Amino acid sequence: MVENMKGKIRVFCRIRPMNRTEIARGDSTIVSRLDEYSITVETARGQREFQFDRIFDTQCSQEEVFQDTNRLIQSAIDGFNVCIFAYGQTGSGKTYTMVGDKHLKNPGIIPRTFNKIFDIIHKNEAKFDIKVSAYMLELYNERLQDLFVSPAEAFSKRIEMKKDKKGLVFAQGAETKQAASPSELFALFEQGCANRHIAATKMNVESSRSHLIIGIMVENRNLTNGTVCYGKLSLVDLAGSERAAKTGAKDGQLKEANSINKSLSALGDVISALSSDQPHVPYRNNKLTQAMQDSLGGNAKTLMFVNISPSDCNVEETLTSLIYATRVKAITNNAQRNMDSKEIAQLKEIIVKLRSGQPVEEEDVQ
Amino acid sequence: MASSYSQEWRSVCDTFRNAQTLSDIESRKDPENDPFRSKYKARDLLKEILTVLKSFDTGETEDDDNDAECQTEEPVDGGKGEACGRRCPGDSNAGIRAAKLGVIEYYLGVNHVETEELSAGEEHLMKCMKLLDRCTITQENVSLCIQARNQLGILWAGRDETEKAQGFLETAESIYIRYMKEDGQPPMDLTEFFVGEEDQLSQQERTKRFELAYTHTLYYLAQVYKNLEQFERAGKYCHSTLQRQLELNQFVPLEWAINAATLSQYYITKTRYMEGRHCLAAASVIAGLAGEVPSEAAAQESEIEYEKREQLRQKRAEIARCWIKYCLNLMQDAKKLLEDNIGELDVDRQAELSRVRRNEEEERERERKSTVLFSSSDTFDSICALEDKVSCIFPLDFEEARAVFLVGQNYVGQAKEYFEMDGHVTDHIEILQDHSALFKVLAFFEEDLERRCKMHKRRVDMLEPICKDLNAQYYLLVCRQLQFELAETYYEMMDLKLAVADRQDDLDAHTVKKFNTLCSASMKYYEKFLDTARSPDGKFPDKLEDEVLRPALVAKFRVARLQSKLISASPTVQIENLSRSLEAYRFVVQYCEENPEARPAVETELELSEEMVSLLPIKINRIRAKIAVN
Repeated sequence: MVENMKGKIRVFCRIRPMNRTEIARGDSTIVSRLDEYSITVETARGQREFQFDRIFDTQCSQEEVFQDTNRLIQSAIDGFNVCIFAYGQTGSGKTYTMVGDKHLKNPGIIPRTFNKIFDIIHKNEAKFDIKVSAYMLELYNERLQDLFVSPAEAFSKRIEMKKDKKGLVFAQGAETKQAASPSELFALFEQGCANRHIAATKMNVESSRSHLIIGIMVENRNLTNGTVCYGKLSLVDLAGSERAAKTGAKDGQLKEANSINKSLSALGDVISALSSDQPHVPYRNNKLTQAMQDSLGGNAKTLMFVNISPSDCNVEETLTSLIYATRVKAITNNAQRNMDSKEIAQLKEIIVKLRSGQPVEEEDVQ
Repeated sequence: MASSYSQEWRSVCDTFRNAQTLSDIESRKDPENDPFRSKYKARDLLKEILTVLKSFDTGETEDDDNDAECQTEEPVDGGKGEACGRRCPGDSNAGIRAAKLGVIEYYLGVNHVETEELSAGEEHLMKCMKLLDRCTITQENVSLCIQARNQLGILWAGRDETEKAQGFLETAESIYIRYMKEDGQPPMDLTEFFVGEEDQLSQQERTKRFELAYTHTLYYLAQVYKNLEQFERAGKYCHSTLQRQLELNQFVPLEWAINAATLSQYYITKTRYMEGRHCLAAASVIAGLAGEVPSEAAAQESEIEYEKREQLRQKRAEIARCWIKYCLNLMQDAKKLLEDNIGELDVDRQAELSRVRRNEEEERERERKSTVLFSSSDTFDSICALEDKVSCIFPLDFEEARAVFLVGQNYVGQAKEYFEMDGHVTDHIEILQDHSALFKVLAFFEEDLERRCKMHKRRVDMLEPICKDLNAQYYLLVCRQLQFELAETYYEMMDLKLAVADRQDDLDAHTVKKFNTLCSASMKYYEKFLDTARSPDGKFPDKLEDEVLRPALVAKFRVARLQSKLISASPTVQIENLSRSLEAYRFVVQYCEENPEARPAVETELELSEEMVSLLPIKINRIRAKIAVN
């Protein structure tokens, strides 16, 4: 499944170092980096290989990991639509990659992004007037929740993704807050996280089962000629990909026993996978896709970080709906052959005539 | 037997019931930090039962001989029946005892699997199988035989040992088939071994549970075959699973409908339109069973009603989209068969295919009868009725094509009702693109050139406003697709206008103007498309990205063609047009010189561009000479 995404999304894989518990336990590493683009995983059945657009191993620093994201941020400011996803099990290093460690001694993608945005703004102060605003949402159990308001208030609000007059997708019903500095943005982010935590505890929500969506909107006014362009950067922290296991029964969705395999709800996954070029695939759990679809729609600037732990690799297929949203789409079908052929046949005729010195008018040739 | 036995037995049954309750019901309430609490308790109870059962054995004498015999047999998996000679009858005392032990081992196995202790789980399940292997397959143990293998299939699949899983599941499958053929009586359910007489299940209930177990077998096999990449087989098993769900009334309408609709899309990729149509018709009918759509008012009032309304409307719209693809692909596949090498309808092929079709009538009837049909008595008629509304054979002429087109267009309307532009931009546009494609392929069948042109005009009217409206950077890919499509459509229209004029031998000023307008419009969109490749400061990249490479060079090539097609009486204007044309051809040639790796992508266009680069200057000079003379 990860393979399917690659033409459209760039997928970076990051392997975290073994943690103390694992070392103490004497766990062995089953993941190793083969070369810049591949890793191997030792499974009971032998070695399996996975390809990615880049591999970051345990030695790579936060700064190195952020380097490739740099250009994307510039794109967002230039008026493009950029999406960065993080995916992996809880404990695989997702939060470290996206946020960083406690006290931010080693900041991750999000704080660096905040800084970078304003770096660029300052650099271009003379020529561009750039405004930044943000919204923060949680998607849990098919419901979008605003994290910039108190959980009580959020519960009663309904949020829908809509397209505004400028053609950008925004979350209708969600609070959008302006920010004039990285620290302001970060403060908003922390507030959102706090709200998420409160809500989670109160409603017994497993935060590992919800998706976090941060939308940063950039309005870029060219002071020289007055043109304005709008860009957006979406940072999405995807729900943990760990197996539902014991929680299956709690879910109420699985009709048989708890293993995912036992539920016929996986039948849809099987059917969808029968052929890689099915004309239309109706996705089932698609609130995530709905929420992200138009954000992903058409733009070519998407980056996915896949975090894995070295002692357990679980590159599972929970991203089915996202994959369909980002299937490689050609600009034009190759089945334009008939038009080419007619046109090319015409042109060949003209060339023959020209070569033989005959006068030829286009409209004579049909 | 002594009353103490009955009392003991009753307590065993109670223990069993408690174990089940703990495992199935109480476990849902277990806390996050102790999620397997109830399951562990259940496990202890099951182990108790096992001990008690084994202690019962020491009391028995008459069947000991049989047991001894049976024990000399090698435990065999494969359970293909009496291959190894003497086995106890499944319904003898020994057989039943084995089954009882087997059931407990089974539940212990499942318990361990559910608490993520796979090895222990495997051990118990294998013990269960060994117990049963000593017996013939009968009404008493057949369900257990199948379910144990289902579990082992899942277990091994979970360990990535797909072939092993396949082995167990295929055996389960053959056990079922054989049992149904040779016996067929509603088998005992696993739970019935530990209930009192009064709580035995009805025949109906027994059948229901047994059939469910087999449905699972098929369902797991579908997954296994998919993992083995035997997609044809997997598809067959998906189909069978769906069909059984329907037949046995074990399905959730919307979920079933979406699965059937998705399966139809698979069939379409295999050009199996009869099966595809059947799946879609069934999907539509079953989706209808999901209930009434709550009104907008009701949805405003209640969150639940809102969700329900959303769900129903969306799923039905998704099914409509699958129908659109069906119609579109049916027509497009027909076109592929009918077109000649420049994309026009070849009347000879058309005649040939008609002939073949007539001959194959019988073949098709036979095929239809052998297809696994989705049938439950009430829905069968509705499904047939829906199928009758659209063909599943390739349309060979305009009338037939139009019939399919109209069905497709109807579904476009339905899909757009839910997938409105605001809120579903990408989906809405995809639907419009499909609608445009429907017109395009219908035009292929249309003989009258004027009417053909009108169809293309419909496409332009549909797509142009959207193209203007969309934020090009945000919806980059979609904009590019639309621009390219509009450019091509205007090109088609331009060609048709000329062809019409030619036939009437009438190229008046009005037509020329119309022609040039269309020509310019086409160019405009190719240029717009090319603009999307530029950097923010307007520069064209030195090196084009992969996904843009061929389309961009083709766009340049077409602009070159179009420039030279513009009609003008004025030689000065002619020179100007041809110069621009030359410039565009030069661009293609130059780009390929500087980026040789691009050559394979545009071989033919490059070749012709090179020719034109050498020939056009001559033509331009000729015109200049004419001006000089005059």
